[in-house]
Amino acid sequence: MLNTRDLEERWLKYKIKSYIPYATIALSSIVIIIVVSIFLNSNKVEKKTTLSPEIKVEKEVQQVKIKTILTKATEAIEKTPPTKEAIQIQKTTVEEVPKTIAIVSQGNSIKRQEASLKLSPSLDFMKKMQHSSLPYYQEESAIEQESRSQIVEEVEELEIEENTDTTVVEEEPKKITIQRRDSADDIRGIIKRFKKNNNPALSLFIAKKYYELGEYHKAYNYALITNEINSDIDASWIVSTKSLVKLNQKDMAIQTLKQYIEDSHSSSAKILLDEIISGKFR
Amino acid sequence: MSSSIYINSKNVFLDTVNSKDYIQLDRVSTIYQALKDSIKKPLKMILLYGKPGTGKSMFLTKLYHDLSSSQIVHIYQTPILDESEFYKILAQDIFSTKYSGELNFTQFMKIVANSDISSIPVVLLDEAQLYSDALMEKIRLISDTRTIKFVITLHKTEKEDLIAKEHFQTRIWETIELENASNAELKIYIQKKLMKANCFDSANMFTTKSVNKIFKLTNGNYRDTNKLLYALFDIYSAYDTNHQLSSVGTTHVSNKLIEMSAIHTGLINA
Repeated sequence: MLNTRDLEERWLKYKIKSYIPYATIALSSIVIIIVVSIFLNSNKVEKKTTLSPEIKVEKEVQQVKIKTILTKATEAIEKTPPTKEAIQIQKTTVEEVPKTIAIVSQGNSIKRQEASLKLSPSLDFMKKMQHSSLPYYQEESAIEQESRSQIVEEVEELEIEENTDTTVVEEEPKKITIQRRDSADDIRGIIKRFKKNNNPALSLFIAKKYYELGEYHKAYNYALITNEINSDIDASWIVSTKSLVKLNQKDMAIQTLKQYIEDSHSSSAKILLDEIISGKFR
Repeated sequence: MSSSIYINSKNVFLDTVNSKDYIQLDRVSTIYQALKDSIKKPLKMILLYGKPGTGKSMFLTKLYHDLSSSQIVHIYQTPILDESEFYKILAQDIFSTKYSGELNFTQFMKIVANSDISSIPVVLLDEAQLYSDALMEKIRLISDTRTIKFVITLHKTEKEDLIAKEHFQTRIWETIELENASNAELKIYIQKKLMKANCFDSANMFTTKSVNKIFKLTNGNYRDTNKLLYALFDIYSAYDTNHQLSSVGTTHVSNKLIEMSAIHTGLINA
C-alpha cells in the first residue's frame, strides 16, 4: 500500500514551492507600489516646502513694505519742513523704497527679502531726526531746490501706495513711469490729483510749491485747505503763517501761530513765531 | 464507495496493450478506418508514427484482432533484432516453412518466390525504430516484391530520420500520425474506460475541472494518463483503508490527490 503520509508531505512541500514565485511577485509588486507612492509623496512635499516659504516671505515683505510706506506717509504728513539733514535722510529713504519694490519684482529670494527688511532702521533714524529741531529756515530754499525732484518722487510714490489696496507688485509700473517735470507742470498735475482724492499731503505740497515760487496768496490758500482737511499738520500751519508774513499780514500770522501753539504745542511753530516776532523772518 | 471500487478502477488503468481495452474516440476511429482502408490498397508499406504513449501499439493490436479473422496477418510487438531469426520466424509464420539452420536474405527471398499464397499477408511490426538500418533495408526489398505487406510503427523522431532516406520514402505509400488526446477526448477516454469496467461511480467523479488538471499534467498522453489514474486510485484505496476519505471527498476527484499521484508517478518533480 502507498505511504500516503509521505506523499502528503511531499505534496505540501510542492504546494509551498509552487506558491513561492507568486508570493515573490506579489511582494515585489507591493514593495514597488509602496516605494513609488512614497517617492511621489516626497516629491509633492518637497514642492510644497520649497514654495511655501517664498510665499510667506513675500507676504511678509509686502506687509513690512506697506507698513513702512504707511508710516512714512504719516510721518511725512506730520513732519515739519525738512532740514538739511532731514532731507538727506529723505533722500536715502526715497532711494531705498524703489529698491525694495524692484527687489520684489525681480524675484522672491530670501536674501533680497532680508535686504528689504533692513529698511526699518532708517525709519527709526527719521523719527529721531524729526524730534530734533534745527535751524533750517535759512538753508531751506537752497536745499529744497536741490531736493525738489526727490520730494516729487516721494510724494508721488506715497500717493501710489495709499491709493492701491492690492499688492505692491501692481504698483511697480507706476513707479517706473515717474518722470521729473518742471515746477509748473508738477503743480498742475498734483492739483489734478488733489481734486480727485483731497489728500492733505498733496495740498500741502502745492502750498509749499507756490510758496517757493513766490505765489504766497495761492500758497496761503492751499495751506488753509490743508488745515481744513487735517488741522494737525505743522508744516501747513507754518506755510500758511509764512505766506501771511510775505503778504504783509504779520499780525494775523502771529495770532494764528499763537492759537496753533496753544492747541498743538508745536516746537517748530514756536521757533517760527519767535523768528517772526524778532524780525528774523520777513 | 467501498475500497473494491477503487481497486477495480485502479486496475482499469494498468498499462497493458489489450485490444479489448481499446477506447473508441471519434478522431481515433477516423484514423483507424483510414488505416484499415489503406491495408486494402496495393500499398507496399504503411507507416504509423507518433510520440510514445499516443496509442500506436494499441492501434496495431486492435488492427491485428480486426484483420485476423479475414486475412493472414501477423503481429510482432517485440522487435526481432537478429536478421536470421527475423527471416526464420517470417518463413515459419507466413509460409509455414521451418528452417533449422541459418537463414539469410537470399534463401528467404527464394521461399517468398516459391510461395503459393493467394492473398498478400500483412506483417505488423511494432517499435520498428529498434530494427537496424540493414534489416530495415531488407524489409524494404521484401515489400518491393509485393508478396508481403508491412505495417510498421515507430516514434516520430525515428520516422523523421527514416523518411529522410529518399529510397525508403518512395516506398512508403501511406503515413498515419497518432497524436495525444485533447481535453474533451481525454475525459471521454477516462470515463469510457471506467464505464467499460462498470466503475460508474468512479467515472462520475471526473469533472471537466479535474480532467483539465489531469490534461495539464499528462498533456493528453494516454500512457501518462493511465499511469496517473492508476496511482490516483491507488491513493484513493489507501485513504479508504485508513478511513481518511472524508478529508478529500468522494463526489469529485480531489486536485490534491491528482497532484499527489503526479508526484508519485514523477509527472511532478517535487
